[in-house]
Amino acid sequence: MNQHMRSKQSSKFNHVVRNIGYNLLLLFAAILLLIPLIWPFEKLIGKKLRNIVYIKFFITSKKLRKSIVYHGGLVILSTFWLIPVIWLMASSLQTASGPNILTFFPEHVTLENYVNLFFRTDDVAKFPTWFLNTFVVAVFTCLISTMFVLMVSYPMSRMRFSWRKPLMNIGVILGLFPGVLAMIAVYFILKAAGLSGTLTALIIVYSASSGLGYLVAKGFFDTIPKSLDEAAKIDGASQWDVFWKIIMPLSKPIIVYTVLLSFLAPWVDFFFARIIIPPTESNRMTVAVGLFNMLERNLVNSYFATFTAGAVIVSIPIAALFIIMQKFYVEGVTGGSVKG
Amino acid sequence: MEQTNASVLLKKPKLRTRFVNYFKDLWLSFTKGDKYVKLSALFLGVGFFKRKQTGKGIIYAFLQLLFILFMIFIGIPNLVKLSTLGTVELEVIYDPVLRDNVFNDYDNSFLILLYSLITMAFILFMTILWVKNIRHQYHIQIKVEQGEKLPTIKEEIKAYMNEKFHVTLLSLPITGIVLFTVIPLIFMFLIAFTNYDQNHQPPIKLFTWVGFRNFNLLFDFSSSNQAFGYAFGVIIVWTLIWAFFATFLNYFGGIWLAMYINSKTVKWKKMWRTIFVLTIAIPQFVSLLLISYFFANYGIVNTLAENAGLLQFFKDIGLVKPTLDYIPFLTGPIWTRVMLILINCWIGFPYVMLIATGVLMNIPKDLYESAEIDGATKFQQFTKITMPFMLFVTAPYLITSFIHNMNNFNVIYLLTSNRATSDLKLAAVDARDVDLLVTWLFRLTSEQANYKMASTVGVILFLISVVFTLLAFNYVIRGNKEEDFQG
Repeated sequence: MNQHMRSKQSSKFNHVVRNIGYNLLLLFAAILLLIPLIWPFEKLIGKKLRNIVYIKFFITSKKLRKSIVYHGGLVILSTFWLIPVIWLMASSLQTASGPNILTFFPEHVTLENYVNLFFRTDDVAKFPTWFLNTFVVAVFTCLISTMFVLMVSYPMSRMRFSWRKPLMNIGVILGLFPGVLAMIAVYFILKAAGLSGTLTALIIVYSASSGLGYLVAKGFFDTIPKSLDEAAKIDGASQWDVFWKIIMPLSKPIIVYTVLLSFLAPWVDFFFARIIIPPTESNRMTVAVGLFNMLERNLVNSYFATFTAGAVIVSIPIAALFIIMQKFYVEGVTGGSVKG
Repeated sequence: MEQTNASVLLKKPKLRTRFVNYFKDLWLSFTKGDKYVKLSALFLGVGFFKRKQTGKGIIYAFLQLLFILFMIFIGIPNLVKLSTLGTVELEVIYDPVLRDNVFNDYDNSFLILLYSLITMAFILFMTILWVKNIRHQYHIQIKVEQGEKLPTIKEEIKAYMNEKFHVTLLSLPITGIVLFTVIPLIFMFLIAFTNYDQNHQPPIKLFTWVGFRNFNLLFDFSSSNQAFGYAFGVIIVWTLIWAFFATFLNYFGGIWLAMYINSKTVKWKKMWRTIFVLTIAIPQFVSLLLISYFFANYGIVNTLAENAGLLQFFKDIGLVKPTLDYIPFLTGPIWTRVMLILINCWIGFPYVMLIATGVLMNIPKDLYESAEIDGATKFQQFTKITMPFMLFVTAPYLITSFIHNMNNFNVIYLLTSNRATSDLKLAAVDARDVDLLVTWLFRLTSEQANYKMASTVGVILFLISVVFTLLAFNYVIRGNKEEDFQG
């Protein structure tokens, strides 16, 4: 190692040592900042919290020791899991524009990146446009997807017809294939239809095959007692009436779930948007692709801080929605076989 | 096992008889039907006009007209060229009348293939409609002969709101699935048998059928001038290793985490869970891109590791080459692979934890209590109660997540998007040493426009997926879940 590197290293070292206290303080502050995000979901309010803090912590020394070991382990684990999240938030407050590589927390804190993100757009960074694009795509996607999902899950659950079973089997098989496989051809079909590079194409891609995701909603419909339909039918109601007047009013939770889930898809999807929207069309990008392009090798040094600010803005609502829906999510993955 | 075999054997003749009956019924309808039924084999819907069901007759006649027009203008011209995929290349010719350069009447191989496929789907649809038409008209004829009243058009429409409501509901979603999932899959399958690549791009150039040449190229491991076989070998081995580790590490790690948080000692269970879930709640393109800079060669982790003396330590024990002044987290061949699997744990543990928590709560508590009375250790309880229960409920998830991991585009692509490969043989076919089949497919498409090879890789991936899908399918649909664990 030459003289230059050595001096660089030692200066870096001093720098970090000097900042250790400051860093710890900021780490603490960041964890405090995260608490409001987690708090509403915990219902750790009032009596319960006091109960835990004052009584349960001081029972016997053996229990206390075990408790300390267990919780210490969890603190270490969750720190590992939270480090990138905290680094993301810290980086969004930095003054430099490139990736921060010297200290974990920036030396000077600023909100400049957020201001840049919203008010100083240029050819590369057009966050407000992307946000609007994604929002429009998400609204249409969730309308069409929800409609399709309900249209498939209702007959599969409540009606009996000869090709129900075969259709369901085909649906499961098709649903298990990764969408990636069909993507080349979908891209060309959209191109042949003159739609490539448009938001319409994105809406089509996200919602056209959404009928395949009917399993959770079907599971929900299955739990509604059949006697309700039968009673209505005796009173002369048609399937149409049963669908609108009996099943729909009872299905609010599953409709909300489907709406939220399909609303999220365009915000988190990177793959399809990347294929359909060419890298030159920065006006038609969604948030995911736009933010990704900011980190191209020749751009990253000027846009990394802006990227982190955008990432924070996008992540907060998505994370909140996801945490609210986690129970449904589990049912979606396991096909309703888990009832937690 | 015996039970499933028996049910398969029982089902098969049933399906076959249904199939045979379908055509028997068609033949019967055709031979026993009157002249209107026979005529409707040629002109759809004739019988409906005769039986004063004008509305239905018009719909059938209109569909037939549409079909004929479609066949004349789009279907037949494209189907004729399907065997060659077009012969006339695009040329610019001088038109003396317009006094300008214009294109000749060229063939577009891509559109020929696409329209042929759509035409075939249309023909299939019309065939089914044709059979339905004949059978239906014969049934009406019998009804009339027996003096039954035929439903009016109003009643027929009402039926689509009532006992045929499923047809109304399902037609639109299924059309979407056919157009954007089924046809693209078949299309990709067909492209794998053509020479559609950067040198044969419509509309400027034509492409044509080449049989199994692409597959031979992919499975030719010995050839020296083409690197496809080599790259395919490297990538498929890594794909399987990756899928194995990503699936099983996450699975057991997630279960462990769920049990850890579930243990009686731990307070604020929900808060801990939420902290872990937070990492998967953040969109992957954010978290993974960020991590790729986090672990960059001159990134923050390297700075901290250097300051803490980790770099020197790794050099001393030989994990990092002495010539490097950084730890090659996402650039060294072995380092990257290990890091990818570890980072995937960062995302995967919370996912499995979420699922496992629900399952763990479902295990009857008395099972553990009686086990404790019998003197079973914690470990025995885990292997004899917890794991069998977990495996039984999550077996389909385990298989689908193996498929998912094999196709885990996000983790690999976002973490290694700036990575270069030093292996020239891989670089020649646009592959990286840590690519999965799916990311390779993506690179072949978006960077090299090598659609034929991308599709060929896609077909292989598809076949591998089919094997695992069928495995999962047996569990999801046929599996007799209730018997073992509800009793």
